[in-house]
Amino acid sequence: MLVFAISDKGGTGRSVTGTNIVYRHALQGNDVCYLDFDFGSPTAGAIFSVSAVARGTRENGLHHYLRGECPQPRRVDVWAESDREGLRTRPPGAGRLVLLPGSEGGGELSALTDEVVGRCVQLLGRLDEEFDLCMIDVSAGRSFTAELVLAATVRMPAIPFRWLVFHRWTRQHIIAADGLVTGADGLLDVGTRFGHDTDDLRDRIRFVRTAVLEPDAAELVGLRDEQRAWLSACDSELRELAGRHGVGRTAMLGKIPLDPVLQWREQLITDEDVLASKIANAETATAFEDLAKKIVDDSAWEGL
Amino acid sequence: MLVMGEVHTGLLQNSGEISESTCRQVLGLMAGETVRVSRRPIVHALSPERLTGVDCALPTASRSRVRGVGTVVSRCAVTGGRVAQGSSYVRVVRSDADRRLPWSHYLARPGVVEVLGKAKAADLAEGFTGDSAPGRPDGACLDLGAVSGRFLDLVQQSTLLDRRAPFKIPRTSLRWVAETGEPSIRFTLHAEQERTLRLTHPGPFTTAVVDLCEDLATHDWLLTSLLVIVERARIGGTPGAQAVARLAPAIDHLMHLWMPAARVEEWLTPFWESLERRPGFTRQWRSLVDRVRDQVAMNTLALLNATADAGRR
Ligand SMILES: Nc1ncnc2c1ncn2[C@@H]1O[C@H](COP(=O)(O)OP(=O)(O)OP(=O)(O)O)[C@@H](O)[C@H]1O
Ligand SMILES: [Mg+2]
Repeated sequence: MLVFAISDKGGTGRSVTGTNIVYRHALQGNDVCYLDFDFGSPTAGAIFSVSAVARGTRENGLHHYLRGECPQPRRVDVWAESDREGLRTRPPGAGRLVLLPGSEGGGELSALTDEVVGRCVQLLGRLDEEFDLCMIDVSAGRSFTAELVLAATVRMPAIPFRWLVFHRWTRQHIIAADGLVTGADGLLDVGTRFGHDTDDLRDRIRFVRTAVLEPDAAELVGLRDEQRAWLSACDSELRELAGRHGVGRTAMLGKIPLDPVLQWREQLITDEDVLASKIANAETATAFEDLAKKIVDDSAWEGL
Repeated sequence: MLVMGEVHTGLLQNSGEISESTCRQVLGLMAGETVRVSRRPIVHALSPERLTGVDCALPTASRSRVRGVGTVVSRCAVTGGRVAQGSSYVRVVRSDADRRLPWSHYLARPGVVEVLGKAKAADLAEGFTGDSAPGRPDGACLDLGAVSGRFLDLVQQSTLLDRRAPFKIPRTSLRWVAETGEPSIRFTLHAEQERTLRLTHPGPFTTAVVDLCEDLATHDWLLTSLLVIVERARIGGTPGAQAVARLAPAIDHLMHLWMPAARVEEWLTPFWESLERRPGFTRQWRSLVDRVRDQVAMNTLALLNATADAGRR
C-alpha cells in the first residue's frame, strides 16, 4: 500500500503526523518505509532523530535518485540509526522502520520528465514488494512532486494507493484543503488529466485534522465560561463549514489532538513519552495508533 | 580472464503461483524467441536472452581505471511459478585493439566485454565481489545489479500478474565471479540482502555456470525468506494460533520449492555439495521446515484437546 501525504499549506503537521503514523504501523507488526519527497525541506530525518540525515542526505538522496544520479536511493534503518535511545532497539513484534531521506539542499523538482516518472515507478514498485506500507511525504500545495506521483500511480494500476490530505481545524485550512482536492489544478483535476478515473481517485482521498483543540479538552479547563462558549460556537461553525466543503466527518479519516510536546518539538511520540516521562498526552498516541490502523482498514475507505 | 554476473531474486508479484503457460507469456520478452521450460523436478521457465551495450569503467579493488566495451547478457526466470529472477553476466576478455572498435565487432560477441588497456583478473574479481568493493557501483561504473534489477522489474510489472502477493519480502542480490582453475567455491553473506560468490571451476566457462549461480540464488532467497517469515511469526512470543497463522504463507507458497541442484549440470554438482557441507543450506532449511511443521502440529493438538474438553463438559 502506498500512502501519499499532502497538505495545501506548509506547517500543517503533515510530516509529524505522517511519521508518527508509520512508526505506530511498524509497532503494530508491519514493515514500513517513509519517503521524504518534500524536496524543498526534507526534514523527516530530524523527526526520526537520525541526526546524520536531519536535513536530508548529501549522497544518494531521493532527489539524486529521481534525477538519475544514483542507481538506488539511500535507506536508513531507524531502529539501528536513530539517536534516540527509545527508538534504537526494535521492540519485539515490530516490523522494519526504514527512512528514505531526501537530498540535502535539493530544491523542488523543476520539471516532470518521462525519465523521472519512470524512476519513480521503479522505486515505488520495488518498495511495494517488500513493505506493507510506504508513506510518501509529497510536500505542501500544488507541485511537480504531486504531479509526479499522480503520473506514476497511473502507470501502476495494480498497486493500491491512498491519499491523506492534512489540514488544521480553522476556516482558512478547511477551505484550502477542499481546494487542493477539488479546485482548479487540484488533485482530482490533475489526476484526471493524467488518466486517473475521477471518482475512483476521489474514493482514495481522506482528510486528517491536525493539532485539534476540542472544546472539552483538558487544556481549556482554566478558561472563562464566555471563552468556552465562544470556542464551542466556533467549533460547530467549522464543522458546518467542513461539511459544506466535503471535508466533513465522512471524508475524514481521523484527527490528532493538539499536543504540548509536538507544539514544542517535531518528534515521534513514544509510549515512554506518555507512560514514563508523561510529557505527551495519551490521547495523542492513541490517535496516531487509530490512524495507523484505519489507513489499511478497507471499511474506513468505502465509497463516500 | 573471468566472468562476472549478478542475480536478483524476488517473490513473483501474484496472489498464487502462475501456470506454465502464464510463465511463458510473462517471460516472452522478445517476440519470435521462445521461453525454455523444464518441468522436472520443478517447473522452471527461462526467458530468451537480451543484450545491453556497455562502454564504461569496470569495478576494481585497486580503484585503477579500467575501461570495458561490449555487451551484457540478461535473462529472466520463474521457478515453481512463484520465484522470479533477473540475471546478467559478462565474460571479460582482453581486447586485441587498444581503442574502441565499431559496434558490429562487439555485437558479434554477445556477452563479451573487452578490456581496453591493462587489467588484472584478481583486481576485477576483488573489485566486483570483495570486501573492498565500493558498495553499490556509481553511475559511471558497470552495474550488473541495475540491469538485473530492471529485468526483474519487467517480470514484476507484467500485466498478467495481479500484484497481490501473499506476503511482503525483500529481493536478494547475488554477485558472482567465475574463473577457470583449481576448483573452489566461496559463498559470503553481506549486509542485508547482498551475497557474493567466488567460483573457480575446471575447464572453460559455459552457461551451466550461470545456471548454477541462479540455482544458488533461488535457494538462498528461499532460505532468507523462510527465516524472515519464521521471525515474524514470533514463535513462543505470541499465542500458538497466531504464530501458525503467520507461518501459513510459508507453507502455502515456499516450502515445496526446495530442489537444490535440480538444474545443475553433473560436472558442477560438487560445488553444491560443498556448500551443503558448509554453510549447509539444506540442513538449515530442514531445521526451519521442521520448526514450522512442529508448530502446526502442536497447534492442531491443542485445538483437538480443546474440542475434546468442550465435548466432555
Ligand atoms: N498534533 C499537534 N499538536 C501540536 N503541534 C503540532 C501537532 N502536529 C504538528 N505540530 C507542530 O506543527 C508544526 C508543523 O508540523 P510539521 O513540520 O509536521 O508540518 P508540515 O506540514 O510537514 O510542514 P512543512 O510544509 O513545512 O513541511 C511543527 O512545529 C509541529 O511540531
Ligand atoms: Mg514537513
